[in-house]
Amino acid sequence: MRRSDTGASHRLVRWIPAIAAPIAIGVGVVLVPMQANAAVDLPDLTPEELLEFAASSEVDALSGTIEQTSELGLPDLSGLTGTMGGGAGGSGSDSFGPGGGDDGATGDGEASASATDLDDLISLATGTHTAKVYLDGTNARLQVLDRLAERDVYLSEAGAWIYDSREQAATHVTVDRAALDALKAEAEARGEDARARMLAELGTPLPTPEDVLDEALAKLDETTDVSVGTDARVAGREVYELVLVPRDADTLVGEVSVAIDGDTGLALAASVTARGSEEPAFSVAFTDVSFDAPDASVFAFTPPEGTAVTEHEVPVPTVAELEQWKAEAEAEAGDAASPRPEVIGEGWSAVVVLPAGAYGQGGAGAEGLGEASAMLNTLTEPVDGGRILSTSLVTVLFTDDGRVLAGAVTADRLLDAAASGR
Amino acid sequence: MSSEVEAGTTSAGRGDREAVVSRPALQAGGTLSLLGSELLTLFRRRRTWALLGALALIPILIGVAIRVAGAAPTGRGPAFLDQITNNGLFVGVTAIIVATPLFLPLTIGVVAGDAIAGEASHGTLRYLLIAPAGRIRLLVVKYVAAAVFCAAAALTVVVMGTIVGWVLFPIGPVTLLSGATVGVGDALLRFLAIAAYVTVSLLGMSAIGLFLSTLTTVPVGAMAATAILAVASEIMDALPQLEWLHPWLFTHYWLGFGDLMREPVVWDSFAENALLQAGYVLVFGALAVGRFITKDVLS
Repeated sequence: MRRSDTGASHRLVRWIPAIAAPIAIGVGVVLVPMQANAAVDLPDLTPEELLEFAASSEVDALSGTIEQTSELGLPDLSGLTGTMGGGAGGSGSDSFGPGGGDDGATGDGEASASATDLDDLISLATGTHTAKVYLDGTNARLQVLDRLAERDVYLSEAGAWIYDSREQAATHVTVDRAALDALKAEAEARGEDARARMLAELGTPLPTPEDVLDEALAKLDETTDVSVGTDARVAGREVYELVLVPRDADTLVGEVSVAIDGDTGLALAASVTARGSEEPAFSVAFTDVSFDAPDASVFAFTPPEGTAVTEHEVPVPTVAELEQWKAEAEAEAGDAASPRPEVIGEGWSAVVVLPAGAYGQGGAGAEGLGEASAMLNTLTEPVDGGRILSTSLVTVLFTDDGRVLAGAVTADRLLDAAASGR
Repeated sequence: MSSEVEAGTTSAGRGDREAVVSRPALQAGGTLSLLGSELLTLFRRRRTWALLGALALIPILIGVAIRVAGAAPTGRGPAFLDQITNNGLFVGVTAIIVATPLFLPLTIGVVAGDAIAGEASHGTLRYLLIAPAGRIRLLVVKYVAAAVFCAAAALTVVVMGTIVGWVLFPIGPVTLLSGATVGVGDALLRFLAIAAYVTVSLLGMSAIGLFLSTLTTVPVGAMAATAILAVASEIMDALPQLEWLHPWLFTHYWLGFGDLMREPVVWDSFAENALLQAGYVLVFGALAVGRFITKDVLS
């Protein structure tokens, strides 16, 4: 070591690598995403053309990673529900694996099933989730990557498998293919009949899909400003951005944005932003996508040994049965005795009203309800005439007389609707 | 000279190294033999074996406890715990899940925190720096030795777990998180990959430990500070209010090795983890170099 010339400036020179390294990393962190977003310029499209392009999209094989983020402004409930065992989908709230696992017991097995479902729901409404999707023709698979756990949905012609690694449980959902095909054929035949009859009656050709789209857009335009935003990049692909801005002042929704792949027309990202907010309250996007057909082994599933398998066959009704159900439903609608949800208002500020007694009949046990109502009390705040749950996108009002009102609207609008019924 | 060298707990390996370092003509070969003698010193220390032995105890405890007390109920305790009675191979995975948040970082903290401060406290540091350009080379050698210890620690847990499981429980094809089942050979390869993942996870922490070790001549201070930083990072990772910070914490991907137990294997977290750890190694490596080459070595 040349001690003789070790002046202050010499000392400083030797610190250069230590100063340069963080700076280099910082510059890299800023520059790499900027480069990824640099200068995307796709041929201009009007909203109509873009929607048509998206509608004509024919992607039958892909594999990719989807990330879903929710910032609904709900309080964090992980401590409250206590069922954090193994962690809620990589949200990072359980770094202490063993410790987190130990308090993962609110009860035993089935007894806490309703609480677990509630947790699943809440965990979806908060934090970030990553999933892989695979698609090839009629085969599809959704793989939700939780920390040290996984949930899978396998879809194929033969039916569907739902697998949960934490519960070590698999559900096999099957449909009677022959009956389904018969139903489809019959429905198509009837559709043709109706079409022929209409043609005969009108004497003019039916509107083309473009006409239908134009009409739908014109209708949409009354409530919503539809525009094409700036081209961007999602999952490394150039995308168009379709932006929907509600014209209604009562709604909490500020903007809905959908990113449409400039090449295939597939929607690669969607986000909902609350009014007055910069960051999306809810967003789902591909972080990486490939349109090559995935390997066939990805779709294969046989329940592993030691897994509890539930078989569930979905009955397929015939057309006659369907019509009978429809008639019954209509008859019931006229019958005021059975409460049914009604919708007040329309468009973005529509409010759904569940009359008293319409909920809580779903067979949920008293225990489950008790737990749910305790949670409701911590989530909601009291207002004049009930309790209100507000998130950045959705508001729910539980009135004292047992009605539930919900909508993507402000609390005042809900209170109004509850008071006036309009 | 030798009387001062022997002042510490170290023995013959230290003496060999002095001889090598004092021959500047053998620069490249010198680095290798310096590394060799450093590793020899590290793995000859009783403390190193005590640390590895403590890590090996984790799978043994898990295996014996389950053997004696019976199967864990589904969905309780660390992931895979409930599957051990059906398949002993899961002992290794369960053990590494248990060891990753606390025990592994503690041992790494001891080894990395001791790297420079330990030599300084024993008064051996200045003899190691006799050769020209010796300081950076010494840092690199110390860091590589710490990294080798990371690999040894991770392998100890996984290999010991697999052996314990093999002895105490039936062995069979392994059910992955995706529900697919793979053969024993494939599963063992995946366990090795998990050990590699954990090793990579600990590299950033080793660099932090090395830097802290250059700041002080009290090794216990550097060891404790390193371990505390790891725990602090994990606590911050558990706070949802700091979500923006999470991807930057060196502990953030520590339990991401579950992705290697999926079918098909998801390598994303491995790559992200490696990139993050490389960033930490670069920053704290540069800081350690800056500190060490400007430091007045008095002991």
